[in-house]
Amino acid sequence: MASLALTIREAVRYRGRSGHYSWMAHRLSGLAILGFVVIHVWDTANAFFAPHIYAWSLALFKHPLFALGEIGIMAAVLYHAMNGLRITLLDFKPNWWLYQKQSAAIVWIIFFAVFIPIAILMFSGVIGHCSELAAEGLSCWTIPSLSDFPAGMFSN
Amino acid sequence: MAVISENQEITRRSVKIHGNFERAAFAFMRVSGIALLLFAVGHMMIQHVINSSTNLTIQFVAEQWNTWGWKAFDFLLLIFAVSHGINGFRNILEDYVHSKTAVKWISIILLVFVIATILWAGYAIWQFDSTPFSSSV
Repeated sequence: MASLALTIREAVRYRGRSGHYSWMAHRLSGLAILGFVVIHVWDTANAFFAPHIYAWSLALFKHPLFALGEIGIMAAVLYHAMNGLRITLLDFKPNWWLYQKQSAAIVWIIFFAVFIPIAILMFSGVIGHCSELAAEGLSCWTIPSLSDFPAGMFSN
Repeated sequence: MAVISENQEITRRSVKIHGNFERAAFAFMRVSGIALLLFAVGHMMIQHVINSSTNLTIQFVAEQWNTWGWKAFDFLLLIFAVSHGINGFRNILEDYVHSKTAVKWISIILLVFVIATILWAGYAIWQFDSTPFSSSV
């Protein structure tokens, strides 16, 4: 744990500026995506192995907390994709190493230009979903119960 | 500090790189990264922007997995995303775990995890039958 604390402290303290921030954002977004992907893949496999559990998880993922997490994952994927493309391009174009700082800035600008409208769209989707449920006298904050999704609900 | 000023020429020299696992892993991260620009970013745009999790149902998934095109798309997304992600995770761990034996064992466990995940989820995609979920039934 001491080395983890040291790692985190030095990651923040080290003043590598733009390249350092890109490096940290790339690692953190990568870890976030991986954590999500592993859960998402094993959950989606349940569509075949245990459809009732999958149907319950789809209901659970409509909860506002998961919906906000989904917006975070969208940010992570978009940044990781754009910065990953920058890294790959620079690997093959040594002449462009003169413009590390500029390329890092361009990635941030394109990222925000793409992510902000998408985040607004996704967030308004969550608001719309909650107000639809509210109109029916239900709450989007209710956590769905697995007992409402009995095994065999999809067999006929 | 290793700063390259703008008026400085980049020094180029040819280096013969011997093929080894880490060299292949480096190349794989670039190739799978490019593939994921299509599969992962495409998946996010199609499933989370054009469609939405707020009205996603198992019937919608069944409708998509009724076509081999979507099954193939999701299978390619699966193998590229899991292998790219776990190899990236291994790279991060190597920066903080300094015991070579520990790194070796972690790598073996991660490799087994990648294979198990791809087999388990790949089998689910391949075997998935849409019939019980079709709205006409």
